[in-house]
Amino acid sequence: MSSVSLFNVTKAFGEANIIKGVDLKVEDGELVVFVGPSGCGKSTLLRMISGLEEITAGEIHLGDKRVDPLPASDRDIAMVFQSYALYPHMTVAENIGFPLKMAGWSKADIATKIREIGEVLQLLPLFDRTPKQLSGGQRQRVAIGRALARDPKIILLDEPLSNLDAALRVDMRMELARLHRQLSATMIYVTHDQVEAMTMADRIVVLRDGIVEQVGSPLDLYLAPVNQFVAGFIGSPKMNFWPAQTDDAGRVIMPTGQAVLIDDGCAPNQSVTVGARPEHLVLCDSAADAALTGTVLSVEHLGSDTFVQLHCGIGAPDQIDINVRLAGIVRVSIGDQLSLTNADANAWHLFGQDGKRMNKIAI
Amino acid sequence: MQPSLTKKIFIYVGAALLALVIAVPVLWLFIMSISSSTHLTTLPLQWWPDAPTLENYKSLLVYAENSPSASFLYGIRNSIIIAFAATAVSIAAAIPGAYSFSRLPGPRRKNLLFAVIAIFMLPPVAIVLPLYTVMSALGLLNTHFALIIVYCSILLPFTTWLLKSNFDTIPGDLDEAPIIDGANRLQAIWYVILPIARPALGAAIMMAVLLAWDEFFYGLLFTNDIRAKTITVAIADLAAGRVADYGLISAAGILAAVPPVVLAFFMQKTLVSGLASGSVKG
Ligand SMILES: Nc1ncnc2c1ncn2[C@@H]1O[C@H](COP(=O)(O)OP(=O)(O)O)[C@@H](O)[C@H]1O
Ligand SMILES: [Mg+2]
Repeated sequence: MSSVSLFNVTKAFGEANIIKGVDLKVEDGELVVFVGPSGCGKSTLLRMISGLEEITAGEIHLGDKRVDPLPASDRDIAMVFQSYALYPHMTVAENIGFPLKMAGWSKADIATKIREIGEVLQLLPLFDRTPKQLSGGQRQRVAIGRALARDPKIILLDEPLSNLDAALRVDMRMELARLHRQLSATMIYVTHDQVEAMTMADRIVVLRDGIVEQVGSPLDLYLAPVNQFVAGFIGSPKMNFWPAQTDDAGRVIMPTGQAVLIDDGCAPNQSVTVGARPEHLVLCDSAADAALTGTVLSVEHLGSDTFVQLHCGIGAPDQIDINVRLAGIVRVSIGDQLSLTNADANAWHLFGQDGKRMNKIAI
Repeated sequence: MQPSLTKKIFIYVGAALLALVIAVPVLWLFIMSISSSTHLTTLPLQWWPDAPTLENYKSLLVYAENSPSASFLYGIRNSIIIAFAATAVSIAAAIPGAYSFSRLPGPRRKNLLFAVIAIFMLPPVAIVLPLYTVMSALGLLNTHFALIIVYCSILLPFTTWLLKSNFDTIPGDLDEAPIIDGANRLQAIWYVILPIARPALGAAIMMAVLLAWDEFFYGLLFTNDIRAKTITVAIADLAAGRVADYGLISAAGILAAVPPVVLAFFMQKTLVSGLASGSVKG
């Protein structure tokens, strides 16, 4: 009923194609996160679903009803703006009740409903204040309260947490996740922060330059990114990449000269890009087993982890430094020589010249 | 930082001078209005009349046919009707106009705005002849309606411009949020944009009323008796007789200032700005 389907949706502002043909289905009750670098068209796509932006071509369906010709006010979609967009001249109670007033509810019904929402979001003590008298986190909750007023089946959120400080952001993230479970509404959530995406999403949609690069669960994206862009975008710290060659037998020649067979081998004698996540690299005892060796450039001890930056002399002329995340406390210091390999052959990622993933997806 | 003493002195002297420049003519007008005509013409001139009198006010406010009071009282009535009607019509048209200029896209819209401002800049004397011919052909000379229409042409560009610049400062999210909340455009303007723009709206109304109230040129040309003559024209008539009674003219001047001052007094609260803060960001 409240699924959202996009069929080859495009958007052009004048000459500039911003959204270049998006096909997507968001299932009923799902929390889908649009993630991508700033300017890739996340907000535009969200606004097209809401009806605030007209679409240039394609179709948008809510449930089995086509809605792209309908104005925003007839789509029955709620939206939380990045700026919150609270009405400055209204109290918190009036802000939350505004959508109900527009829907023609009676005063008494509005009062009951906003009280209910106020309880869920712990806003009751603030009901008589104006937005000016609220903190950032409180404003955020009021904006969410207003979006919940009409019991929407679909809620859109455009970077709702980006104006909050880090601690509050974590709290609100959990609160939003809780609300999503409680309301069983379909939510589409836009963020440029991949951590937010990974922690909240049922499924993530990675966008770049108006194109969907990959759709999948957080772990799908983490374990089997379809291309180098997604591989680099998802995960923190970022995946390490370096250029390599395959030998006659289709094995990948690592910087140390070691030949590694990934999957059942890939096409012989061609250039590839190797990817390794910092947390998958481990120290190896003998230099003979190492895929990478290098000199320590910097060490950060966090107690739970040790972050090491390694100079390996690969990828000349502009040499690539490798980031490693070692579990627990590892006593290394700057200038030490380290030998590294990947714990599991499945954890190597291989990308072709076109940036597309080459090795088989192993989930 | 504490301003230095010299700086303070300069500021206070400056303020006092400004107050003097504004207040002295009004005070002078008031003194003249409570003086008898003999007193005003005796030499040497005195600062304060020996026998202050309200005679001038009485002869303006107590109605008698074919007297100064008739043209004065009718002038006030005509001015109130014309100024308020012209303001109401202009504001009613300026709100959607300004919203459209501020919010809706399109280069032609921008050009139209400049055309409107260009017309506003035209001196009245440039268009008064064709206007007169049109009004005369339509039989509208010496009616309230003619002046209301003409004044709207003055007030509308000005109020539109003023409201447009204010609407420009209201974040765009604030007219998209009500649309998402189920309002249509007009409801978004009525429930959200206008309340936020209230100080500007108040200023626009006040300036419009004042502009219309003070207008003289069109009022003089398009009216010819008490049925439509505005207060500015009526006061000028008082001065046009063979002997100008300066006491009477001064009293009329003081009284003519009362309606705008009363309006300003009641609009004061609306003009307090700063309503828009706190709507967006953290
Ligand atoms: N109204 C508009 N007119 C022209 N270009 C726009 C408009 N809105 C957005 N864009 C462009 O579309 C691109 C995507 O914008 P946006 O969707 O806001 O990105 P994101 O939310 O992913 O950061 C940007 O390059 C932006 O300049
Ligand atoms: Mg955005």
